[in-house]
Amino acid sequence: MKLTKEEVNDIALESRLVLTEKELEGTVKFINNFLTMLDSFKELDLKDVEPFSFAETLECPLRADEIHPFENTQGIINQSAHVEDNLFKVPRIMEAQ
Amino acid sequence: MPELEFTPVIGIEIHIRLKTKTKIFCSCSTNTDVPPNTHVCPVCMGLPGSLPRLNYEVVQQGMLAGMALNCEVQPKSLFFRKSYFYPDLPKGHQISQCDLPIVAGGFIEVHDENGNLKKIRVNHLHLEEDVGSLHHSASDGRLEGAAISYVDYNRSGMPLAEIVSEPDVSSAKEAVEYVTTLRRRVIYSGASDVELEKGMMRFDANVSMKCSDGRWGRKVEVKNMNSFHALEKAIEYEIKRQKKIMLQGGEILQETRHWNDAKGVTTASRVKEFYRKFIVEPDLPPLIISQEWIDKTKAMFPEMPDVRARRYVNEFKLTPEAADMLTDNKALADYFEACVKAGAEPVRASHWVRTEVLRILNEKALKIDSFNITPDSLANLIKRIDAGKISTTQAKEVFDAMTNNNLSLDEAIKSCGITEGGIVGDALSSIIQKVIAENPDVLAEIKSGKDTKGKKLKFLQGLVMKETKGQAKPQEVAEALTKALN
Amino acid sequence: MQLYELNLHEMIEGLKAKKFSADELLTSCQNRIDSLEKNLNALITRLDDKKISNPSGILAGVPTILKDNICTRDIKTTAASKILGEWKPPYDATVWKLLRDAGSVLIGKANLDEFAMGSSCTKSAYGATKNPHDISRVPGGSSGGSAAAVAAGYVPFSLGSDTGGSIRQPASLCGVYGFKPTYGMVSRYGLISYGSSLDQIGPFARTVRDLQIVMSVLAHHDEMDSSSFREKNYDFSYDESKLNLKGKKIALVKEFQSFNLEPSIANAMDKIKKILEDEGAEIIEVSLPVVSKYSLACYYALAMSEAHTNLERYDGVRYGYTVQDASGLKEMFERVRSYGFGPEVKYRIIAGTCLTEPSRCDEYYVAATKVRTLVAQEFARAFTQTDFILQPAASSKAPKINELDQIDELKSYEADLYTLPVNLAGLPGLSFFTGYDDDNLPVGLQLIGARWSDPEILNAGIVIENHTGSPKIANGGLN
Ligand SMILES: [Mg+2]
Ligand SMILES: [Zn+2]
Repeated sequence: MKLTKEEVNDIALESRLVLTEKELEGTVKFINNFLTMLDSFKELDLKDVEPFSFAETLECPLRADEIHPFENTQGIINQSAHVEDNLFKVPRIMEAQ
Repeated sequence: MPELEFTPVIGIEIHIRLKTKTKIFCSCSTNTDVPPNTHVCPVCMGLPGSLPRLNYEVVQQGMLAGMALNCEVQPKSLFFRKSYFYPDLPKGHQISQCDLPIVAGGFIEVHDENGNLKKIRVNHLHLEEDVGSLHHSASDGRLEGAAISYVDYNRSGMPLAEIVSEPDVSSAKEAVEYVTTLRRRVIYSGASDVELEKGMMRFDANVSMKCSDGRWGRKVEVKNMNSFHALEKAIEYEIKRQKKIMLQGGEILQETRHWNDAKGVTTASRVKEFYRKFIVEPDLPPLIISQEWIDKTKAMFPEMPDVRARRYVNEFKLTPEAADMLTDNKALADYFEACVKAGAEPVRASHWVRTEVLRILNEKALKIDSFNITPDSLANLIKRIDAGKISTTQAKEVFDAMTNNNLSLDEAIKSCGITEGGIVGDALSSIIQKVIAENPDVLAEIKSGKDTKGKKLKFLQGLVMKETKGQAKPQEVAEALTKALN
Repeated sequence: MQLYELNLHEMIEGLKAKKFSADELLTSCQNRIDSLEKNLNALITRLDDKKISNPSGILAGVPTILKDNICTRDIKTTAASKILGEWKPPYDATVWKLLRDAGSVLIGKANLDEFAMGSSCTKSAYGATKNPHDISRVPGGSSGGSAAAVAAGYVPFSLGSDTGGSIRQPASLCGVYGFKPTYGMVSRYGLISYGSSLDQIGPFARTVRDLQIVMSVLAHHDEMDSSSFREKNYDFSYDESKLNLKGKKIALVKEFQSFNLEPSIANAMDKIKKILEDEGAEIIEVSLPVVSKYSLACYYALAMSEAHTNLERYDGVRYGYTVQDASGLKEMFERVRSYGFGPEVKYRIIAGTCLTEPSRCDEYYVAATKVRTLVAQEFARAFTQTDFILQPAASSKAPKINELDQIDELKSYEADLYTLPVNLAGLPGLSFFTGYDDDNLPVGLQLIGARWSDPEILNAGIVIENHTGSPKIANGGLN
């Protein structure tokens, strides 16, 4: 086994996912099979290969520095169930202080 | 046993807001002087389906800022996704150049403890987006223990340059000189206003200690400094703290600590360090900067303040202090140089700018850009002093009249009742005749030969000077008076 | 003959000639939905708006359906996930803007596998969609709702998205034409991302000519999408003089020839090869050793790595499903995400997080980005030898819904081997109808071209369609 249950559970928590015991078991099996599948990369000599990018979009287009205000900011804000006086209200992040 | 010596090894990370009209990846305004969540759109709010678009001006300003740090522009750079969960980070990841930055490999010079110049190497400057701002006490005013936080995304997506130094800094004093010099150079380059009070410059420091007995302490990352003062105090505190632990034979933990400005201490962060993983930002192709663009930017890159100051000393024979003072503010230095170009003698122009001009700017809380005496006018004023047409005392009066009443040089001279070039010849003779006529007894006394010490003559001379309102030269008055009496 | 049965170009002609009104057409399609939707569950949201934004547009009055991962302003957009809750986007995806500006009328948002992760359209928080040819079977996925809607006659065309086959495979299983354009040909702005460097929006229709019409509207440079093509123009107009395959080379992939195909697919391959040869094309073989052996691992490594970062934004703060009573921020994020995401999405998030952790990133994620370069290079070389590649669009006919549980996750990924290499190399791929098998289920195949050869592929598709005939509208479980 490549990854233990504990390791997979830690990764899940990094992703802010709390798994049930059954979910965890399924995930462990899935991840380990998956990593085995990816081990096939080792058969290839990748040393001098460049990471992929499309030839046609090799260059990032640049936008002019012109202000175009979004016309529907209220439409954004209305979608949150946590808005108070136009601010987004969240539980206090105790850890950071 | 020899006493143990400790050498601090310090690296500094600085975040600077770049000067653009719009955010880095969307067309929202960068003006923060608006109600919360006003300058937001699908992109800077991280809405599903939105895609980033890179701002040309951010790239331009990033290049300028990089050049201010003596960095080389990289022809190809890339954006990555830096993941962590935090409510001020709307996509759950920050788009940042991380390890393939736009510029790399520069330095900033500071003075070491012996006063010698020393290079602090700049590893690189990279572009990234800012996060939203969190307010912890908006509702009930309590700062600590409040149950809720408020998020404002106006700042989300503001263009930032992160500047990472090599661990070449050896003291809090060097750190402060490094950031001060760096700030001045970046402002000069035009890349950022770096207004400290607006939070446009934020610092983190990596502090570790090398001991003369061969021990190395682990690296501690100190975060949350928003002023030069906080940076200085935090580093001093951290050096002292680590030294003490090492002296007692203890181990320095590799950790992140937060600077508490109110208490003047660093405290260990209670969260496990954010887990960071980078993948290439698939929505932004590589940033390619052409040689032409680099050349064009180099051509528009202004002379840096320290170089300029050195030139003032060599070329204009200013004192280093005067040169420093003038070059601290680019606009002020530009003003000074315009005066010199208009024909003012440099040392005298430097004196006028540093004393009179700055006095008025201070009194009126003005910026040099909105000062109403043009460099040409000031140069002309200085030239007239030098030509002896008006005295220095008169010139100050004229200068005040020009700025206070918005007058041209000639109008101001006139309004001060000054006759340029002083009162001479017939005008002087007639004043002398008038004074003599009004003082027959004094005249009689002089003629009688009793005025052996010349007291009475001096008295008449004083009266004449008073009549001319100081616009005659004393030497000429004395000569003309003696002539008139004989 | 009912109006809903008309193909797109017939509807456009009929409306122009005033043989019927847009209102009649929309009503006919709405009625069709009324009678079949309880059988098919192809839609997450139904709309009865009849407003035509541009009465003189090329698609004026023609109804359409969008996959529900395409943002529509003020209209609920779910990506078939609980986590988006009742979210109504405050903006429109570029593709919807283009269709609406051409006069098209949106009458529904189609079902999909949650966040487009799947190939069955059963992994939706809104229930499974059924195949209109046999409602005990899956329609394929992830754009299963969009494919089923066109197959069943809800609309003459719809939009889906294709990250690893999500247009081409359901098109094949539902017996319609599905086109995955070259990466960069159609704007992704407003498409809820799954694997950003692989995702591409494309159309479904019942004739290739109809695909041309839709592509002529969609293929535009969009400054909102930095991967959108520039400096080029593509001609998707119907032109009989271009319908000619004489002297063209069409390749089979050597490494795939040893695979055991289902008889119906093998027969279809033989049938199409014959048609192509009759048309004067030359059938050749190209070798794609890296593509055939490594693209599956490469694809899933990249798709999951990108997906987990694309899904980091769902935290319940700004939109979508949320909780009100969390005592801390971490708890809030955990509760929202643990409840909001379905099992398949969780697998992929965790796998993506795992692959990109600093300790594994080089070994898996970075290696995959390099393997992708090899895959793209291999295809580029192949297209110096051939004009098109012909291969299946799915490895089997549509599975029965109740038999899906027996298929293990990774096994089901293997089913995508025919489609996903195309996304790795950013190529265009057309899934086309060939006929029906013994069970009366449609069988589709796939034609792949070099980058930006999109107009040529569609022309080749019309040549084939002229031999096979276009598919009939499926009865959707009605007798
Ligand atoms: Mg940073
Ligand atoms: Zn914005």
